Amino acid sequence: MNAMDRLRASRPVSVPIEADREALFDRIVATPPSGAGPRPARRRRKLVLVAVGVAVALTAGTAVAVSTDLFGWHTDNTFIKDPRVWRKLYRDATHELRLPPGMAWPYRTLAPNTITNRSEPGGMAVGISQTAWECYWTEAIRAGDTGAERSAQAALTDLVRHHVVVAPPGSPENVAPPAGTRPPFAIYASDGGIQYVKHNYALAAAGDPSGVAQSCRANRGDLQIPPVR
Amino acid sequence: MNPDQHPKEGPEARFRRVFAHLQPVADYAARRGSSDPEAIAAETMAIAWRRLDRVPLDDPRPWLFVTARNLLMAERRRNSRRSHADRALAPQEAAPAVESADPAVTRALQALPERDREALLLVAWEDLTPAQAAEALGIAPVAFRVRLLRARRRFARSLAADGLPTTPDVLEVKST
Repeated sequence: MNAMDRLRASRPVSVPIEADREALFDRIVATPPSGAGPRPARRRRKLVLVAVGVAVALTAGTAVAVSTDLFGWHTDNTFIKDPRVWRKLYRDATHELRLPPGMAWPYRTLAPNTITNRSEPGGMAVGISQTAWECYWTEAIRAGDTGAERSAQAALTDLVRHHVVVAPPGSPENVAPPAGTRPPFAIYASDGGIQYVKHNYALAAAGDPSGVAQSCRANRGDLQIPPVR
Repeated sequence: MNPDQHPKEGPEARFRRVFAHLQPVADYAARRGSSDPEAIAAETMAIAWRRLDRVPLDDPRPWLFVTARNLLMAERRRNSRRSHADRALAPQEAAPAVESADPAVTRALQALPERDREALLLVAWEDLTPAQAAEALGIAPVAFRVRLLRARRRFARSLAADGLPTTPDVLEVKST
């Protein structure tokens, strides 16, 4: 057997998907597609970039260069390379956000040999809060705990209202919102992503956890979500 | 309008053709070490639906694999941000990027640079043509062929170094 044949023969066996495919299909197509109209709009792309207060960050000592249009969305060319700066921005953001009862903020830091936009730590915290509450909401619905359901819905409604901003169409990935936007916040691309999130929340509010459950599974990673109490 | 779509075909019918590849996407994610391949596949399909106008319908696999790979990278970034203490508490979650059914192959694959490994696996495991694999990696077909040739050489050398009995193909690859 030659090397390529041996490689092909070593392909792991396929593990059949356990999920109900038709249910998944129906859930996905319940939201408008991008190609439905004559001029399709771009759909959700949750940007990796997220934002947190620049004023706080400037005190941390890393060299920055800011290209700013104070009157609107602008390109943010500020970068972090110092993990201490990253962790301070992340810590500051956690003070502005909530987690489900009994959950602690996970440790996060800047990966080695990495630079990132200095708006990212705050958005990371927003993402953690969002995922945690989505997981909590999923469990609350499954457990029939209406009090916990209301808490999760209120937390996520507040999160989307106050900590999510949508970039203008065609924005680059290092876009930043107008000066004065209160941090922390996550930036969504203008491609329908936030509508998809809201759709999932509407389903959950009606007792269907499928959308928030999928988001929870896809995003929870190592998050330790406490059981609904 | 996507050139592959029938003018009278509705978005759900078009998406049905994309959704038919749910299992291959889950397999792709599993073979790349995802901790939750089904979630990656489901999220990939949700993105495909929202961007249906961009998905090539004749064979959407390259597009789907690109999307799944981006989700996998996000999954790994989340894991990489854990503290050393977290890792010590959960060593079982430090899954390798790729795991084959043959330990010698796994070792040889892990010895390769990631981009060489991905070039090999897109062809050998995901059954993409070189042109499709080039599309999935976002490089020109000519560049992909060069990368694939280099990856095959390195892979064969790694296998040979691990004690694989040499075969004509291995000798041939080693001699090129």
